[in-house]
Amino acid sequence: MTDRPIAATAHEVEHVRKRERRFLFSPWHLVLIPIAIAMLIPLVWMLVTSVQTLNETRQYPPTLVPHSIQWHNYSDVLRLAPFGRWFLNTTIVTVTVVIGNLLFCSLAGYAFARIKFFGREVVFVLVLATLMIPFQVVMIPTFLIVRRLGLIDTLGALIVPNLAGAFGIFLLRQFFRTLPVELEEAARIDGASRIGVLFKIVLPLSGPALATLAVITFLWTWNDFLWPLITIYSPSNYTLQLGLTTFQGAHATITNLLMAANVMSMIPVLLLFFVAQRYFIRGIATTGLKG
Amino acid sequence: MQARKVLQSDHVTGWALAFPAVFLIVIFGIVPIIWSAILSFQRTNLIAPPVWVGLENYRALPKDPLFKTSVAHSIVYTVLFVPVSVAGGLFTAVALNRKIRGVRFYRTAVFVPVVVSTIATAIMFLWLFDPNFGLANWLLGKVGLGPYGFFDSVNGALYSIVGMTVWGWIGFDVIIYLAALQGIPQELVEAAEIDGAGKWGLFRSVTVPLLGPATLFLVVWSTINALQLFDEVYFLTHGGPGTATYVVVFYLYNLAFSQGIAGYAAAMAYVLFAAILALTVVQLLIGKRTVYYAS
Amino acid sequence: MADITFDHVTKAFSGTVFALDDLTLHVPDGEFLILVGPSGCGKTTALRIVAGLERPTMGEVRIGDLSMNGVSPRDRDIAMVFQNYALYPHMTVFRNLAFGLKERRTPKDEIKRRVGEVSAMLGLDELLKRRPAQLSGGQRQRVAMGRALVREPKAFLMDEPLSNLDAKLRVQMRAELKRIHQQLGITTIYVTHDQVEAMTLGERVVVMSAGKAQQIGTPQEVYRKPANLFVAGFIGSPSMNLLRGSVSGGRVVAGDLTIPHGDVGTQDVVVGIRPECFTPSTDGRPTVEFQVDVVEPLGEQVVVHGSVAGSNAQSGAEEFEELPMAVEGSRALVTAVFESAREPSPGDRMRLGVMPERIYLFDAHTGDVIESSGGWASS
Repeated sequence: MTDRPIAATAHEVEHVRKRERRFLFSPWHLVLIPIAIAMLIPLVWMLVTSVQTLNETRQYPPTLVPHSIQWHNYSDVLRLAPFGRWFLNTTIVTVTVVIGNLLFCSLAGYAFARIKFFGREVVFVLVLATLMIPFQVVMIPTFLIVRRLGLIDTLGALIVPNLAGAFGIFLLRQFFRTLPVELEEAARIDGASRIGVLFKIVLPLSGPALATLAVITFLWTWNDFLWPLITIYSPSNYTLQLGLTTFQGAHATITNLLMAANVMSMIPVLLLFFVAQRYFIRGIATTGLKG
Repeated sequence: MQARKVLQSDHVTGWALAFPAVFLIVIFGIVPIIWSAILSFQRTNLIAPPVWVGLENYRALPKDPLFKTSVAHSIVYTVLFVPVSVAGGLFTAVALNRKIRGVRFYRTAVFVPVVVSTIATAIMFLWLFDPNFGLANWLLGKVGLGPYGFFDSVNGALYSIVGMTVWGWIGFDVIIYLAALQGIPQELVEAAEIDGAGKWGLFRSVTVPLLGPATLFLVVWSTINALQLFDEVYFLTHGGPGTATYVVVFYLYNLAFSQGIAGYAAAMAYVLFAAILALTVVQLLIGKRTVYYAS
Repeated sequence: MADITFDHVTKAFSGTVFALDDLTLHVPDGEFLILVGPSGCGKTTALRIVAGLERPTMGEVRIGDLSMNGVSPRDRDIAMVFQNYALYPHMTVFRNLAFGLKERRTPKDEIKRRVGEVSAMLGLDELLKRRPAQLSGGQRQRVAMGRALVREPKAFLMDEPLSNLDAKLRVQMRAELKRIHQQLGITTIYVTHDQVEAMTLGERVVVMSAGKAQQIGTPQEVYRKPANLFVAGFIGSPSMNLLRGSVSGGRVVAGDLTIPHGDVGTQDVVVGIRPECFTPSTDGRPTVEFQVDVVEPLGEQVVVHGSVAGSNAQSGAEEFEELPMAVEGSRALVTAVFESAREPSPGDRMRLGVMPERIYLFDAHTGDVIESSGGWASS
């Protein structure tokens, strides 16, 4: 035991702490800063251009700092093209597909995880198999089926085939299996039906997995291009991605407006990303685990 | 009583719960797989009734110069894209796996490109790579490199697409690698330090081998995705200039939906699928021999 | 081989939480020293500072007279055995053993020789081509030891290496460790929370609590002459009984126990009596009235739990808060150990004799032992 005054101790400790803090400017910053710049430059450049006047965009060397901010570019875009409509279409499709997946994949995922039913293994393998098939193989017949159903050139074509995906079934099944089965058994002994157990016990405990599925499905549906390209013809039914290509085709040289349109198309996904970053990352990491 | 028992049985419940999703997947997944195979043996323009032609589509493929060109381009793209994005992802993940100031900001910067859609990315890069007014040529000029045509140049278009898609996907690799790096037990690293391993020795003998499963996954995943390149080609170059960026999926899209040669397109799709499958199997087999899996 | 010195080593987290508080200790070359204490006492922190895995906030560690401040683990020439072994899962046993030597660019035949020697010593010859996942817990533990031995370092650091083994294997490996130490004589610092392990393995023992060394001594010293309440309560199983009492007029009084005592004026004390120092034979001894509650037969001996008049004191070494037992009024809980021939029944009231020369007195405020107590200790 010593009799150092406590104050002196705290001061010396603080001094050492300061020495350690300087190490936080490590040489790795020299690597990370250029990487971060490379990643952000296209986005920043797009943002800057979106608020410039057309003349500013035609400067060489390019002007990096706009003289004034032309917010009206954004409203101009809305005038020039049915952007609002495209936004609405995309939102309807995406939200419906997300809800559909959450619902149907929960039901099926739970059945595959916990209920022994006739043919379960075979059907599950079939479901998994569809994950391995590249989209290009099935796109032509899917187109024909959707046409047979009379859904071509409607939002239904984008919604119906995607309401339940093998990815969601797989993800939720794996997750449900990690929950302690005793909880469900106790509930059933207490009198709950299978479906009751699913909705009252399992799903409330599955928040993270459901959030991950929702976020990944949202991303994939919002950004989808090839399938809308094949099935939608009327501009009033376009999704944002399709609309962007038309906009670019029509106004290729009006770069500032094009960039403004681009920014607007990204906002929901970027917002969702910042709010739910954790779930995006978890979703992506889970695809890795499956591999 | 008997009926009630049956209704409550696990088989019925299981099927009832699984049915909606399974039904959708069968109709929009399994049926198309089979139908596509059938189509590949037919000649059809998707409007008139199809005509059975047997193996003619498959036989025509190797004789089709445009097909051969697309295959070459798809291969070149894949061979460039996969190593660059996977190695780059590893390097970036290692750099990001530290507790230094602002690491959250750097991580976010690397992840954001992944959520941007292919079309939005293409539009951004179309402008960035604009030969006359784009930032890229200006910056390159500052370090003495000549102006490039990027998407307009016959030689450079495919490489430009490589660069753009690496930008868009490297965050994915980083996420996977970061998760794997954080799964390496701290004790192992400490034991190696005490045993005398320097930074490089540690990386080479402990880190990289333990990242084997992640690397294998990323190589397989990136290869599969690279061979399916479409959106960027359709939007930016339409296969051009000339046929400089013609890739397999773009070719088959055109065949089916522009030229009405759907049977041939279906055959091409199946050949692509077979190639992807074969490549994946080969990669997994190599992986089995060289990759260590923690049990 | 080298000696190790802790010179006023302190480790603080966020300025006010001290994991280690001014530890000063010299480990002579070749000694097997044990750091023992409950979790959070700082023993593992002290070990990791010697290893170089943590940096001291203040003070210095020296290995063989060389200051280790700023020296990285790989340059310290020490070897460590981790609690969870930390074997490289992707390498064979041979490569695990050889790894450290390879990294230091030892020539190939030298590596082969050393690995061969150690493998023979630990019985690993048949396992050399296997991977850790294919080994049992005991085998992995030996590989972890082997990896340290092969390096022929200046010192061994061991962080609870036996705690993941089942009881029988643990006893076996303890004997192994002692044998190896006798053979090689390398300075060893060993961390454990198990005081039985500490007593049986160590040449010297450091009893630690809340970042401070409570007492440093041989196992016998620490058992017979505890320096304070904590050490008294921590060492020994079942733990020493601690009763509140006071000294006045030449007598120690605790409950209905009265013991004649020499000097010392008037003060509050804690009376410490080891369970083995109670006896049913009361001739000529101070006695207490003991109410038997629970009887645990252990073969040759029987452990009897019960109560006497008075109240308990805390040593700070208790694992759990005292469980309230059904005791009427306020009485002190006491554990006694005697030979099984004298086994009582639950509910019995009996008079127990206390051996006065084996009583410890502790200052009730500071917890330090009062020098003139524990006659056994002063012999």
